[in-house]
Amino acid sequence: MISNVLIGIGLFFVVIGTIGILRFRDVYSRLQASGVSDNAGLGLILIGLIVRSGFSSDDLKLWLLLFLLLLTNPIITHSIAKSAFVMRHGREDDVK
Amino acid sequence: MLIVESLLLLSLIAVLYLLVRGPHAWDRLLAYNAASNRIFVLLALIAVIDGRHSYLDATIVYAALSFLGVIILARFMERGGGHR
Repeated sequence: MISNVLIGIGLFFVVIGTIGILRFRDVYSRLQASGVSDNAGLGLILIGLIVRSGFSSDDLKLWLLLFLLLLTNPIITHSIAKSAFVMRHGREDDVK
Repeated sequence: MLIVESLLLLSLIAVLYLLVRGPHAWDRLLAYNAASNRIFVLLALIAVIDGRHSYLDATIVYAALSFLGVIILARFMERGGGHR
C-alpha cells in the first residue's frame, strides 16, 4: 500500500519532469526540469521499491542504488551546466 | 505494476527522442544522463517486481559506469572538445 503510493507519486514527478525536459527551450531550463524529475521522481520510485522489497538482501542493494543516484545526479547537473556556461559565456544564440 | 513499467518506458522513449533531436551537444548529454537514470530505475523495478534478483548487481554497475561516462564527456566538452 505505502509502496504503491510512493511509486505513484514518483511516477507523477517523472512524467511531469519529462514533459518539462521536452518542452523547455534552453539547456539550463532543461537541467532544472531534469533535476526535479530525476532526484524526486526516480528517488521516490526507489524508496517505494525499498518498502516493497522488505528486509532482505535486495534492500541493501536498493539503498546503495538510491545513495548512488542522490550522490551522482547533482554532480552531473553541475558539470553539464558548468560546461555549457564555460563554452558559451555571454552568447545569446542558444535561446530560440 | 504493468502501468508503472509502461509509463517509465514511455518517458524513456521521450527522452531518447530528445537525444536524437537536441539542438546542441549539451542537450544530448543531458538526455543521455536522463535516459541512463530511467534505464537503471527500470532495471531495478523489473528486478524487484518480477523477482529476478540477479538484475540488481548489473543495475549498480550500470549506474556507476554511466556516471563515469557522463562526467568524462562533460569534462571533455568543457575543455573545448569538438569545437576548437
